[in-house]
Amino acid sequence: MAKYHGIIFAYKDAPELGDLTRERTVASLPFCGRYRLIDFALSSMKNAGITDVGVIMARDYQSLLDHIGSGKDWDMSRRSGGLRMLPPFGLPHAHTGNYAGTIEALNAVRSYILDIPQQHIVLMLGSLIANIDLAAAIAAYESGGADITAICSDGPAVGVNHYYQVGEDGLVKEIFLYRGDAEKGLKSLEGYIIRKDVLLRLMDEAAARNHYAFHRHALLGFLNDGGRMNVYRHEGYVCAVRNIAQYYRASMDMLNAEIRHQIFPASRPVRTKIHEEVSSYFGESAVVKNSLVADNCIIEGELENCIVFSGCRIGADTKLRNSIIMRGVTIGEHAELDYIISDKYARFSDRTQLKGSAKLPTVVPKGSNI
Amino acid sequence: MKKSCIAMLLAGGQGSRLYALTQDVAKPSVPFGGKYRIIDFPLSNCANSGIDTVGVLTQYKPLQLNSYIGIGQPWDLDVSDGGVYILPPYQSAGEKGSWFSGTANAIYQNMGFIESYNPDNVLILSGDHIYKMDYAAMLREHIEKDAACTISVLQVSMEEATRFGIMNLGEDGYVCEFEEKPKHPKSDLASMGVYIFNWEKLRAYLIADEQDPNSSKDFGKNIIPAMLANGEKLWPYRFKGYWRDVGTITSLWDANMDMLSPELINLYDPSWPISSRSPVCPPTYTGENARIVHSIVTEGCEIDGQVENSVLSASVTVERGAKVVYSVLMPGATIKAGATVEYAIIGENCVVEAGARVGTAPDGTEGWGVATCGPNVRIAPGHTVPAASMIYPGEEV
Repeated sequence: MAKYHGIIFAYKDAPELGDLTRERTVASLPFCGRYRLIDFALSSMKNAGITDVGVIMARDYQSLLDHIGSGKDWDMSRRSGGLRMLPPFGLPHAHTGNYAGTIEALNAVRSYILDIPQQHIVLMLGSLIANIDLAAAIAAYESGGADITAICSDGPAVGVNHYYQVGEDGLVKEIFLYRGDAEKGLKSLEGYIIRKDVLLRLMDEAAARNHYAFHRHALLGFLNDGGRMNVYRHEGYVCAVRNIAQYYRASMDMLNAEIRHQIFPASRPVRTKIHEEVSSYFGESAVVKNSLVADNCIIEGELENCIVFSGCRIGADTKLRNSIIMRGVTIGEHAELDYIISDKYARFSDRTQLKGSAKLPTVVPKGSNI
Repeated sequence: MKKSCIAMLLAGGQGSRLYALTQDVAKPSVPFGGKYRIIDFPLSNCANSGIDTVGVLTQYKPLQLNSYIGIGQPWDLDVSDGGVYILPPYQSAGEKGSWFSGTANAIYQNMGFIESYNPDNVLILSGDHIYKMDYAAMLREHIEKDAACTISVLQVSMEEATRFGIMNLGEDGYVCEFEEKPKHPKSDLASMGVYIFNWEKLRAYLIADEQDPNSSKDFGKNIIPAMLANGEKLWPYRFKGYWRDVGTITSLWDANMDMLSPELINLYDPSWPISSRSPVCPPTYTGENARIVHSIVTEGCEIDGQVENSVLSASVTVERGAKVVYSVLMPGATIKAGATVEYAIIGENCVVEAGARVGTAPDGTEGWGVATCGPNVRIAPGHTVPAASMIYPGEEV
């Protein structure tokens, strides 16, 4: 049995993702031609030898269940241990349909956590785009003499984040919550390695005070009580997707070879659900520039700065630019699409003209007929 | 548990006419058509036909084949009351044990495996054919015609017939004569090397054939003629559709090129998927200078050069200024900047260094042929590999 148990938070909403998350939780948002966001957390765990993993979900998780299945694509379908999907067991806040915070989510699966045989737990977000070397983070945890190791990044920040200020002894001195700038120290990636008994204590203390937030309540309290928390600095690309513009930019970042190789290094492969696929076919008149194309596509038209998921059909004389085309989309002939994010199985008839803007690409919902 | 039909897949041959490509691997595990290996076709056909028990007879260099097949999960053959079994030659108590000495002997040596499923019929398949076929339809006809053996046949031209095993039919439509590569064929029905036998009958013929010291223990040469001589009912099942033997460099290259023509064989048909075990790679990246025309490309490639009329397996790199024309690039091949690959097969993890040339377009001369690099070959910068060359694994040219 591995020494560490994994818990992935896949319950978070992101209302600003609009139609992209209408029928799915952020963790199952399709990304980079064949992946879902949760693949990064699952693969990080798998690559560090962690195969006992619980995934906390709250709602709109059908696509997540379908994607993860038994967990066998991450070698987490195990006779002993393995992957457990943890749907809500009666929500305390029935009116919102979601957990108010991480502590509340953890307390909702308290009995699962009590039964975890391992003494150490790795907590990760299911919606973070990053290829984190958890084995290295665990090494920092084991050598740091702290009860908690926070996974951080000193890379450029996007949007609002929590920040840690670290002292010369390598321990966290202060937490700055919900800051929009990077000057206050290291950006939290909201991944933690923590002793099981410490986590249970934080959960209990927070619950006793009717607190639900992990950073604001539990971690601040832990530090104020003199708790020892060190950090692991993740180097490499990171993006937490919270709105459509961020999703679009993170997707387009994958066209950059350096970033792509940081996210998909050969040494830590990102695994995902395997579909029955065949190679892609590029036709007589196909033009493909600076694009990513998954398997099982038939491309007759022209692509530039595009990400095309598997199973797409792009007709002849169709020009597709700066767009993200998800699985199973069919685009007819003589069409022109620019700055479009098309969700799965949408169909665009011949001569469709559609143009979004660079700042805010147009989202075409799943299964649309245009 | 009793089965109506189980399959035995002959995958032990060396495939010596693929030379460098099968120096270290068995022919069925040679990469094919971008996403696949040759054995994916019969295995997928079995799964799609509802045959869930497959014995794979291995002998020559089986390591890669064994690990590729694994427990058969990519073909949904990881089932508890059947599944895919690797069957190597083995030793018994008090015996020296022996290699499979022929196709019939390979089945003979594994009668115990077959008996454990107590099947009514046994489907015999080869691991070196590219085709999509519903074995269930063939089995129905086999049962309907009350045949001891049903042989899948393909109509070929009379010129081609001289290269195949040819079935001559009697007036009742059953096979009355089998001729191996006849000089003057009497029929145009060629055996595809796909047989369904009534197991009781086959068992008896295998045991009898094993006693014959002069037999070469081969289905085509011994078992079928013996059955015909004894007046057994042999039925020809007429297969229509794409079927290719990929036993030679030329036929392997040809069949790869055929994959570019969906009218020959449609791999995009979701009702008959050909499955494979492939590593998860990011999508293929096509750079600013990429030009990909009439080609198949698999995930994990990085293309910034020119690719025309070619078949690329996973994780192939074609650098800027490189040119790949009418070629087959197997997994992990790298074509460096300014190199040219024409009418060639480039094996797994080969590196064609900058400015090198492999192969040439047909020039009408007699000695012309497809140039082949086996796996892990490095072609030095600026070097030229002429047409019809054969570079063996590990060689540095």
